[in-house]
Amino acid sequence: MAIGISLPRIDARPKVTGEALYPGDINLPGQAYAKVLWSKRPHARVRAIDTRAAQAMPGVLAIFTGDDVPVNEYGLITFDAPVLIRPDVTYQTRDGEQHRSASVPNPKSQNAKSFDGVVRHVGEKVALVVAETEQIAAHARELIRVEYEDLPAITSMHEAIQPGALQVHPHYPGNVIKHYRVRKGDVQAGFAQADVVVEDTYFTGAQEHAYLQPEAGLGYLDEQGRVTVIVAGQWTHEDQQQIAHALDLPLDQVRVIYPAIGGAFGGREDMSVQIILALAAWKLRRPVKIIWSREESIIGHHKRHPMWFHARLGAKRDGTLVAAQVRLMSDAGPYAYTSAKVLGNATVMAVGPYDIPNVAIDSQTVVTNNLPTGAFRGFGAPQSLFVAETQMNKLAAALKMDPVELRLKNALRDGSLTVNNTPIPPGCTIAEVIQQCAARIQSNPASNPKSKIQNPKSRVGRGFACGHKNVGFSFGAPESCEATVELHGHTEIERAVVYHAGADCGQGAHTVFVQVAAQALRLPVEKIELVASDTASSGNSGSASASRMTFMASHAIFGAAHAALEKWQDEERPARAHYIYRPPPTSAMHPDTGAADPNITYGYVAQSAEVEVDTETGQVRVLRLVCADDVGKAINPQQVVGQIEGGVVMGLGWTALENFVQRDGHVLTEHLSTYLIPSVMDIPDVVESVVVENPDPHGAMGIRGMAEMPLLVVAPAVVAAIHDATGVWVNQLPVTPERLLDALERVNTTQ
Amino acid sequence: MQPFTYAAPTSLAETITLLGQNGEQARVLAGGTDLLVQLKENRRQAALVIDVKRIPELNVLSYSVRDGLRIGAAVSCQRICAEPAIRQAYPGLIDAVALIGGAQIQGRASLGGNLGNASPAADSIPALIVHHAVCEVAGPAGPRDIPAEAFCVGPGKNALQPGELLVSIRIPPPPPRFGAAYLRFIPRNEMDIAVTGAGVSVVLNEAGDTILSARVALGAVAPTPLLAQEAGAALAGQPVTPDVIEQAARIAQRAAQPITDMRGTAAQRKHLAYVLTRRALEQAIARA
Ligand SMILES: Cc1cc2nc3c(=O)[nH]c(=O)nc-3n(C[C@H](O)[C@H](O)[C@H](O)COP(=O)(O)OP(=O)(O)OC[C@H]3O[C@@H](n4cnc5c(N)ncnc54)[C@H](O)[C@@H]3O)c2cc1C
Repeated sequence: MAIGISLPRIDARPKVTGEALYPGDINLPGQAYAKVLWSKRPHARVRAIDTRAAQAMPGVLAIFTGDDVPVNEYGLITFDAPVLIRPDVTYQTRDGEQHRSASVPNPKSQNAKSFDGVVRHVGEKVALVVAETEQIAAHARELIRVEYEDLPAITSMHEAIQPGALQVHPHYPGNVIKHYRVRKGDVQAGFAQADVVVEDTYFTGAQEHAYLQPEAGLGYLDEQGRVTVIVAGQWTHEDQQQIAHALDLPLDQVRVIYPAIGGAFGGREDMSVQIILALAAWKLRRPVKIIWSREESIIGHHKRHPMWFHARLGAKRDGTLVAAQVRLMSDAGPYAYTSAKVLGNATVMAVGPYDIPNVAIDSQTVVTNNLPTGAFRGFGAPQSLFVAETQMNKLAAALKMDPVELRLKNALRDGSLTVNNTPIPPGCTIAEVIQQCAARIQSNPASNPKSKIQNPKSRVGRGFACGHKNVGFSFGAPESCEATVELHGHTEIERAVVYHAGADCGQGAHTVFVQVAAQALRLPVEKIELVASDTASSGNSGSASASRMTFMASHAIFGAAHAALEKWQDEERPARAHYIYRPPPTSAMHPDTGAADPNITYGYVAQSAEVEVDTETGQVRVLRLVCADDVGKAINPQQVVGQIEGGVVMGLGWTALENFVQRDGHVLTEHLSTYLIPSVMDIPDVVESVVVENPDPHGAMGIRGMAEMPLLVVAPAVVAAIHDATGVWVNQLPVTPERLLDALERVNTTQ
Repeated sequence: MQPFTYAAPTSLAETITLLGQNGEQARVLAGGTDLLVQLKENRRQAALVIDVKRIPELNVLSYSVRDGLRIGAAVSCQRICAEPAIRQAYPGLIDAVALIGGAQIQGRASLGGNLGNASPAADSIPALIVHHAVCEVAGPAGPRDIPAEAFCVGPGKNALQPGELLVSIRIPPPPPRFGAAYLRFIPRNEMDIAVTGAGVSVVLNEAGDTILSARVALGAVAPTPLLAQEAGAALAGQPVTPDVIEQAARIAQRAAQPITDMRGTAAQRKHLAYVLTRRALEQAIARA
């Protein structure tokens, strides 16, 4: 058996010894260095970009602006963001001189020049300087003179949707990118039956991915003359497509390679350095290197969506849910990125994993001049589940009912209709994870850790939450995963080569690929050689996102392995087979009702948190966290536990520490000394991973996607524990000490 | 980071000459945990960096019951914390020194650097103040002493004159029934700059039921670490009761004049000045 065992990660030794090369570690002879000139302005018209002084500096090779990008646009879902800035064409400088007039836009540009000449957030890339050394590039960057005309900045979602508000982006009238409307049953009639209704307004903050490795990469022309980018991303073939689009090159002229990746968490789904590196290497015919500082990384990539919610939940006296209504709004920043998809997810998960007969959800994602937002582990589900689960916990309190019992009473089960009015995909195990999590707490109370704060003002409490999230792409998006397997040898298979594009962002995907291949081919893992993450050698794998990579890749590798074995039987040497796995199709939500089969399948998780609150300082310490996650089949149990522990800690950061502050469109937390992520000392004493293995009928060997699930419900579990400890509900994330103290004081003064 | 020249003199005299010759262009380097970060981020410029870790007087670490404690300005926090006799005699100082950064930072960071950097939030300074520490300075005009509470004169500014250097810190032996403590508040458990810090010390009478004298010093609530004299004065001669402690903590809260910044609001800091002073007093009294 090659699966179900904790094979040491194939990248463990090189990473620990420092042999593993990350994009920033890779160099080529004769490489030049690039620096980005950032806008640092939330909203301004760019009247002119004067590069003459910078250009004249010895050692400067080129300065690129939007004029130099053949099709100056990018975006994962729609091309609505400029790669670099092109000055407003109609303008002449005050001395009457025409500095640079924008060239006629390339006819392939889908959006023509509708978004030209404006910067819409502080992390907009205005120009790219390329020079012989990093120092010269940095110095030359300071010599570029940009003439800006500042425009008023829209920095709140509520302001953005006011009638007559300034338009942030010409593509989004009314400043709305997308809205969804979900109607199931009759929500008014539902609330009329309710004995108890809980209703509240909630807000969740932005979150920075804070991966270990800030963006870096190397662009060059490979031996076949292809423009090649070595970079850390989540989907080689998507990067390849976006580069090809912006550079107006055929796909096969572009190659993307991922070496070791220092974390991603969704933050590398959209373009960062990919297109600019390709552009510089292509134009200069020379290797070009870039490394962003942490501060550049923090303004240079998108964040988790801040979201606002208003939610109502109604139940009968016995706890039966009868109606739920949610209005929610997310801050997309100025460009779409994946905002519409994140919103879709937030909408589907907005009332939690429950069977509720009457539901109304209205959601929208809104453009502002804050930083763009997009994919981040959980992809909209954590925000919605914070609200849905806090509503459930408030309801349990109002009904004086055990929160576990209330959940079990209403949990989705096979055959239940979701908010999309279609049955939940078979293999729904939310009740199972709830029970397993609750059982662990009961059976193991002795593991309760000791107080950490040790003062008379501290209070201890416990909270519970659960949730679900889709695995794989949703709403009818094309979904597939390719693999190629090649068997070498004569009478016996001596060596098997697996070609797969899937990104190992640090989660251990490549180790799983090797284990799955070994299992499918019945070979020892030592005989498997993996050629990964290069568009030149593998087919499209789809992204390392949506908890999908193990789920999708296992099918693909199994398919390719079996096909190769057949060819081996037919005496082909080497026996080589390619396979594309396509899961059951999904569909988009109906615009008026939300009716759909939005997802292939879901992952399920339940958590219990025990916290200690210092009621005098507002500090929260998480003492114990139990996480029951149904993974279907743990290919590598150690990695599963790694994902649970990592996800829990990341969730704790979002819940209680990570306060990403933007004021008037400017980022005030651009250092890791002001944006506080959990340190090793902030990890709970006890994190118990309960690995549940109920096979998913859609998964190869029963595999379920799992890597986002542990983050999903940390926040509502902790917030419920804080309530249990102090009697106070906090409706806003992160629960900073000051916010909690305010809430405690409000309660104390009103008592 | 701008390029700079590096010098590592081995005597005080040589160092003072170098400082005198280079004026504002020169910066002293001890552990570098503040200075190197600032140079890298171009928040400070220096043409000459003078490493003072090879000067014997700055590496002294001596303690005796009679003479008290002398800490060379370049001695690392790790060395201080590793001395059992110091841990035992000055637990209130160790509270602060052991909080600075984490293990790696403490292997480099010095009290000379903590004072030299003159951050309003520096953890060691309130603790030094309540221990009646004296900064021993050398310079072109000869040696002089500066009390710890007078060493910082503004955010990032200290009382050293051009050409002067901090050599060591002298702390008197603790009198009988002396107790001290330092507490700080940060949102996470390590590696953060104090939102507020409070150092206190008390001397009790023989019966242990009356406070003879006390000092209270606060961090991150004013442009410099702040000796809250009124709070100390309010404790002197008072019985050890929760009321007395509460009163003094409220006075400390009023003495705090914080600003609002990324780490906390003025209101939160004033509140914390109260909570931390009260808790530190309880701890210091228990230690006395
Ligand atoms: C990750 C991290 C965490 C930190 N955490 C904390 C913390 O928790 N609490 C805290 O208070 N600080 C903290 N700091 C700041 C810093 O570590 C301390 O201020 C430390 O005490 C500085 O000592 P150093 O020897 O490294 O000083 P250096 O960086 O060498 O010097 C600091 C300044 O003092 C001057 N200087 C140094 N020695 C002398 C001298 N003998 N005479 C005159 N001037 C001198 C230097 O010129 C410079 O301006 C942290 C820093 C980092 C990087």
